[in-house]
Amino acid sequence: MGDILQIANSTVFWIFAFIVVAIVAFQAIIFLWIASRSAGQADMNPSEVRTAIRSGFISSIGPSFGIAIILISLIALIGSPITLMRIGIIGSAATESSAASIGASAFGAELGADNFPIEALAAVMWTMFLGGTGWLIVTMLFTKSLGRTQQKIQKHNPKIMAGVSLAAMLGAFAYLASQQMITSMNHAVAGIISVAAMILMMKYADHRNISWLKEWALGFALLIGMTTGYLTTFIL
Amino acid sequence: MSNAAEQTQVVLNNPMPETPGIAGSSSMELFYRRSHFWGRLTLFVIILMSLVPPLYISFVMDAHPGWGVIGTGLVGYASFIGIMWILEPITYYPTLGVAGTYLAFLTGNIANMCLPCSSAAQKAVGAEPGSEKAEVAGVFGIAVASLTNIIILVIMILGGTYIISVLPPFVESMFGFILPSIFGAVLGQFAYRTPKYGIIALIIGMAVLFAPIFSLIKIPICVALTIAVVLFMEKQKGNLNG
Repeated sequence: MGDILQIANSTVFWIFAFIVVAIVAFQAIIFLWIASRSAGQADMNPSEVRTAIRSGFISSIGPSFGIAIILISLIALIGSPITLMRIGIIGSAATESSAASIGASAFGAELGADNFPIEALAAVMWTMFLGGTGWLIVTMLFTKSLGRTQQKIQKHNPKIMAGVSLAAMLGAFAYLASQQMITSMNHAVAGIISVAAMILMMKYADHRNISWLKEWALGFALLIGMTTGYLTTFIL
Repeated sequence: MSNAAEQTQVVLNNPMPETPGIAGSSSMELFYRRSHFWGRLTLFVIILMSLVPPLYISFVMDAHPGWGVIGTGLVGYASFIGIMWILEPITYYPTLGVAGTYLAFLTGNIANMCLPCSSAAQKAVGAEPGSEKAEVAGVFGIAVASLTNIIILVIMILGGTYIISVLPPFVESMFGFILPSIFGAVLGQFAYRTPKYGIIALIIGMAVLFAPIFSLIKIPICVALTIAVVLFMEKQKGNLNG
């Protein structure tokens, strides 16, 4: 495994990784520009723009560290630059580690084994990189037609679109939360507490008209849920 | 109940900022045109860039594993992930919007980062779901999240092993509960004004979770059922009549 990691961590792969990082950062900056150019027409004033940016930043810190901690497990298997490339664009620790192990076994090798030839690393990379382009290709080709469908509905009856977006969000997160909460009692507690914390904070913020609390609510709810879940491991 | 009704009123009476004037509609058209152009271009470049590392290791480092091996690996992976390539963009599109979809599917971590950050930004400026204001506010949320995420990733990759070694072990155990906490918090964020719909969504979620269905299509099914039930209930109340 030592030799293979030396190859996987070579300068060329670091260069590729930083090109990928640069593209992701470039896209984010371009869309910040697009959004700020149209903010006025979408009924957002400059102070609301700052509020939106601030709450996006605050809310992303927790999840980003969560993602970063999980990726450490991948570094040991495929090296730092390849991990950075795979996690930095579409793909999570779960999808990429399954892709890596499938790619390795297609070559007849096992991830993390002592005898891991460079061809097996190549098989792993093909599976991960081509596998990840699936989402990218579908999004690139079909977002435009999804947009046209949405505009048709919007023109026909704008109220339906409002109902659909609210329901889609509720449905997706009710499922994701249920799936996590059945893992263990501690997970269930973490989930329920963060739902409750969120509802209480948002109600209170609405009631007292405290806008900063709405920006921090997700971060707080996350911290409260994680802490409670962890603390209950001592009693449950 | 009264809360639910109030929320519905707010959502349905203010789905869009007035009737957009000529300037307004043309500028939002510009927003969509720019989003499609830059979204497609950046995705296209990253797709090309995704081919470079495997081509490099195969043909420059001369370690080609053979197309048969690559095919086997891809087919094995696509057999359970392939359906997500199509279902995920469709499932998340109504909430992410055009620009949000381009951003979220490039940076990844859609459910655990992009959607929560998009909705946090929307709630912070008081935008109602489905409105143009929500779409633009969500773009700010996701774009900033994408930047934060990539910066934290780079820091962690460069100093990761060191940072992990100085963190007290309980921090890592706490992060074991990050997923139920994120998902629960976002559910609360959307359900707090319509608790009834939140409970309905949870019941549907649990039912679908335990139903004997092919597991990868469970989220889309849950989303579709929730949309159907919510639209039906809104219709009963007469809230959807143009």
